[in-house]
Amino acid sequence: MKKQLITLSLLLTFSLLSFSQGKDELRSSCVMSAGANAKFLKDFVVQLGNDAAQNDFRYKANIALWKNTKYRFNLCSATDSKGLLILNVKDDGNKVILSSFDKKSGKTYPYIDFICQKSGMYQLSYDFTNGQQGSGVGVVSMVK
Amino acid sequence: MKVKGVVILIVVITGFACKSSSSKPSEFVFPEVDTVPLSETQKLSPEAIADISKNISSPVEIANMLVNLDVPFSQNYLATSIDANKLSTNFDKAIKLGILGADLGYLNMYEKTGSSLDVLSSIRKLAEDIKVGQFFDFESIKRLSKNKSNLDSLLFISIDSYTKIDNYLRENDRGQLSALMIIGVWIEGQYLATQVVSKVPNKMLMDRVGEQKIILNDLIFLLAPYCNHDSEYTALCKNLQEIKDKYHDIRITFTQGDPISVEKNGGLTVTQTETSVVEMSKEQLDGIIEITKNIRNRLVINN
Repeated sequence: MKKQLITLSLLLTFSLLSFSQGKDELRSSCVMSAGANAKFLKDFVVQLGNDAAQNDFRYKANIALWKNTKYRFNLCSATDSKGLLILNVKDDGNKVILSSFDKKSGKTYPYIDFICQKSGMYQLSYDFTNGQQGSGVGVVSMVK
Repeated sequence: MKVKGVVILIVVITGFACKSSSSKPSEFVFPEVDTVPLSETQKLSPEAIADISKNISSPVEIANMLVNLDVPFSQNYLATSIDANKLSTNFDKAIKLGILGADLGYLNMYEKTGSSLDVLSSIRKLAEDIKVGQFFDFESIKRLSKNKSNLDSLLFISIDSYTKIDNYLRENDRGQLSALMIIGVWIEGQYLATQVVSKVPNKMLMDRVGEQKIILNDLIFLLAPYCNHDSEYTALCKNLQEIKDKYHDIRITFTQGDPISVEKNGGLTVTQTETSVVEMSKEQLDGIIEITKNIRNRLVINN
């Protein structure tokens, strides 16, 4: 029994460490994928289960964006994700300003450049395509 | 009763959000935060606090703007008077950790990474003093600063260290220190912008100073639960209110328009056609420059 408990603890520790390591690697590679002219601002680690019935994007975060700034939103999905990470950005009037997912064609974009002309609070909403399970990283940077 | 309080707060915040975007052109107005009792702000959920913390602009944004506008670097803007060995209270340590974080962002953006080693040492000392030194990746930042080779990694690790400290403090019931750190970052960023704008009256920079009205209330909300903590917190709450008063009559209006999207190199470029317009007189700007300088210098010099 004692042996089994030790093995279980080791396994749990190992899986937690591997997950943490995988997450850090994904974060680093996603930051680098923004390109040499991009300056890192923030990142969001998104992990969601399967929920195909949902209507709205599930992971939400607010951010202040400033006029006369070009932002880049990079989206990176872990290799074991079922869906691809997608993003909607809404302004403070709940109007969708941009989306990395075209519902009609089903096309997804790995990054979006946003030339901001209105300073204010914006809502970033992340999910995975078709409400599938996945883990990924959304990076926000500034580009010249 | 608690639920009622939160509902009132949500209604106030929602009311403000709608007010700022419904008419044509619309105008940003401060939510009537004064009508929300202090006890109500204390009921903000940890998620709401975390959200507010993430809203506040990054220290590198103002510095990036200065670089893009070809504003020359000046050592004079930095908080060189801070001596990390002479600080006694956690209040002083946390707020100066924020101030130095903004200075580090400024140095990094100008690639003055060789000069950043003193700032880094002070940051490490302050972080260790408030028991968050384990989140500040001093060795990596120092190595990258010396090499001058990889600004991307340097920015990422520096910002990430601050984010980890902020998260840890909030998750361990030390939210007051997290709030101080964030306010320190903001005040120093505001100081950099206002000092530059007082010498280089660039319209974009002036607008950025005026636009800070948009997030000022979030800063006040963040600190509000601790205003009666002790005299240092009370004074800082009063300072933020003084800054807010200077912003009261500055107008920010919004024009309407639909975004334009273009596919490019496999990605999407979206250009916003809605705009925000700041109306701020020279007297109003001078008032903001003055109050920012006074408050920031008091925080930096009063060790």
